[in-house]
Amino acid sequence: MSIPTLKNLNIVQTVVDWLDERVPLKAAVEFAGHKEVPVHKHSIWYYMGGIAALFMGIQFATGFLLMFHYVPTFEGAYASVQAINMQVPFGWLIRSMHSWGANVFILVLFIHMFSTYFMKAYRAPREFTWLSGLGLVGIAMVFGFTGYMLPMDEIAYFATKVGVDVAGESPFIGPYLAEFVRGGSEIGQVTMNRFFSLHVIALPLAMMGLFGLHATLIQLQGISEPESIQKLPKAERKYEKFFPDFFKKDVFVWFAVFVAFMLVVTMKPWGLGPQVDPAAMAPIGIKPEWYFLSQFQALKLFPAKILFFDGVHVAMVFIGTVFGSLAVVPILDSTGKIPFISKFATVYGVIFFIGWLFLTIWGSL
Amino acid sequence: MFPVWEVPNIGSGWVIGLIAVLHVFISHFAIGGGAFLAFTEQLAYKKNDDRIYDYLKKHSKFFLLLTTVLGAMSGVGIWWAIGLASPNGTQTLLQNFSLFWAVEYVFFALELATFLAYYYTWDKLDRKTHLKLAWIYIGISYFTLFAINGILTFMLNSGGWDFTKGNIGDAFFNSSFWPALGLRMFIMMALAGIYAFFTLSREKTMDVDVKAYLLKYSAKWLLPAVILGPLFVIAYLFTLPEPTQQVIINGLSTIGVGNFSIMAKAIFMTLVFAVGLFGMVLAGPYLNPRAFNTSFAVMLLAAGFGFMFTEEWSREMMRKPYVVYNYMYSNGLRKFEIDKVNKDGFFNHHKFAGAELTTLKPNDELGKGQLMFRYQCTSCHTAKGNGYRSMKVMLATRDKDAIKNLLTMMKDNHIVDDKGVAKTMYHGYMPPVVGHQDEIDALATYLATLNSDPAKSTTAKVESSNS
Repeated sequence: MSIPTLKNLNIVQTVVDWLDERVPLKAAVEFAGHKEVPVHKHSIWYYMGGIAALFMGIQFATGFLLMFHYVPTFEGAYASVQAINMQVPFGWLIRSMHSWGANVFILVLFIHMFSTYFMKAYRAPREFTWLSGLGLVGIAMVFGFTGYMLPMDEIAYFATKVGVDVAGESPFIGPYLAEFVRGGSEIGQVTMNRFFSLHVIALPLAMMGLFGLHATLIQLQGISEPESIQKLPKAERKYEKFFPDFFKKDVFVWFAVFVAFMLVVTMKPWGLGPQVDPAAMAPIGIKPEWYFLSQFQALKLFPAKILFFDGVHVAMVFIGTVFGSLAVVPILDSTGKIPFISKFATVYGVIFFIGWLFLTIWGSL
Repeated sequence: MFPVWEVPNIGSGWVIGLIAVLHVFISHFAIGGGAFLAFTEQLAYKKNDDRIYDYLKKHSKFFLLLTTVLGAMSGVGIWWAIGLASPNGTQTLLQNFSLFWAVEYVFFALELATFLAYYYTWDKLDRKTHLKLAWIYIGISYFTLFAINGILTFMLNSGGWDFTKGNIGDAFFNSSFWPALGLRMFIMMALAGIYAFFTLSREKTMDVDVKAYLLKYSAKWLLPAVILGPLFVIAYLFTLPEPTQQVIINGLSTIGVGNFSIMAKAIFMTLVFAVGLFGMVLAGPYLNPRAFNTSFAVMLLAAGFGFMFTEEWSREMMRKPYVVYNYMYSNGLRKFEIDKVNKDGFFNHHKFAGAELTTLKPNDELGKGQLMFRYQCTSCHTAKGNGYRSMKVMLATRDKDAIKNLLTMMKDNHIVDDKGVAKTMYHGYMPPVVGHQDEIDALATYLATLNSDPAKSTTAKVESSNS
């Protein structure tokens, strides 16, 4: 490295060079620049991954700040959340961002998942990218479930109770699963310990690991193009570098989404219901969060008995199979060379999406 | 006093608000955008670049249509709305500033005429003369802002004018005048850049290098707002009356612990929009002009509108509970009349309310209370449902006695003792409730029927029919 003279001193360049000698900065930028983003009329869906990453960041940052004041005990949780909302400077903002952020994060993940599915981005060689993405959706939903209980207000407690009871109805493993999650026969301090440690240690680690795999696979394999674009002659296809070109667009969209998000967070700050009385009756019409409503509504449609089986067991197997199929159908269509399967995957996706949407809306009414 | 215009769900204030924000979003562009045209036309001549010149021709067409059609219509709309929603306030502004309004209208007519001359003389006048028209337009349009700024700032800062004697110039050139003028000028320049992003994004045949250059150039029009805007905001806040400053400080200091007022929410969102806009412009048209498209431009327009909306909303909120600071309350009652109205009775004082009262059956307590609500409360509150500042929501399950106590206490909202301590916690937020005790009791009877608790609501109705 040459010693800069006063004449040719460029501070930024000098710092970059100094860093580059110690950390492969330029190589990292070059690696990021290798990935190209196709430019076409469906490009808008490519922003969803970035928006999801933004909300993941918001969740980690606000969750970390909430832990400064949150008390993870059955007796003290409610009072600590109340203090966060009403005494800690800007505590309401951090909590409102975290609670709204959880919902928006899951919504964006769903949009990302469905858009990826319908653009057939799961096809070879991207099967693991798809599966890791599905895993991230699953983890985010468990995040939502475990986090929902932590404020220990009335709704949180009873919705969690209903959720655990439903899981307990799964055939064979259900009772053991419910017992394990609760840490006993009733929701109590042990349940809170388990939910809290899952929420702040196990799930973040799992999410970071899986997200790392997901992002690395995308970087290595590039971003897929829809079939309609692949069919175009090469000369008619347009691409831009992910870094820095698409990344700048990503940043623009992040700012826009963040402002819209803050509007909701500020104008409708996340509230806190009355403190739970575990001995009291559950409020009438208690429902899980919106992202579990489709399953919840589907469960209600099954009769008590189907032939020799308990209706609820059949329902759990059915719901599990339907959601599990999201991992299987794309794999069957991974080559995209069998027209029947390809068409089936599309039709199946449409039916799944309409069914999911219908049951979610129905469940919310 | 005038009759009351009752707008369900959103309230009459929001009718003014929505029209006014749209108008401000366009009228500020009419001034800042004029400066943009002049400076950019000069740039085109300096660089001798016909491509910039051709763009300006198209941009000026957009400017003409937007400002003279929607801008002018929404301007008339504001007069229509304020005349209905706040006739007393409108009357006060007209009476006190007749000369300034007249001057403003003359300059507005000149502004339109100059711009029409500018637009229709592209390629017809020599460059130097055409550019002169642009400079004249800047001067005239800026003077319309100059005139209206004095009246707008007066509504929050009377500059010592006592409405009877003295110099009206003190009212016009109140201490908020210059900071507000500067601040609006920066916002206008920023809006000029934001609107230019939109018209540039629609340019499909323009040379990509010129387009990128113009996008970066337009982004720089936001710089004065970014650098000097915060300083002028602070200067402006320092010129506001002390009680208003106190309300702002209270709002912002309690924002931290979540008990923040609507005003504090609006101020907070203004900051968020400002920071968001800065980030979007930096990442978009400034650093990545070649990838900029109409979707991004629309997002920037939306963010700009959001900024204007929350900024104007904050300013309106700062004026509460007055429509003209320290003179007229938001419901049209003049501050100096309060004692007289309390002595004479509300229905004896208010001609239209009194006339309406005669149409009711004798002893119609509920009807009388509803009239009290219409004339004293609907400028800021809606009654039923989940409307704007709905009394049903705000009163929750309070019964008639609780409401009566609350209203009786609120008779003293305007009183401050010698040490400057307000007699009620609603001072600075709400006008005093005025009238004889039986009139206030009638208001309590009506408000109790809006109660969220059906059992108590029924009690109130029964009491009312028995009385």
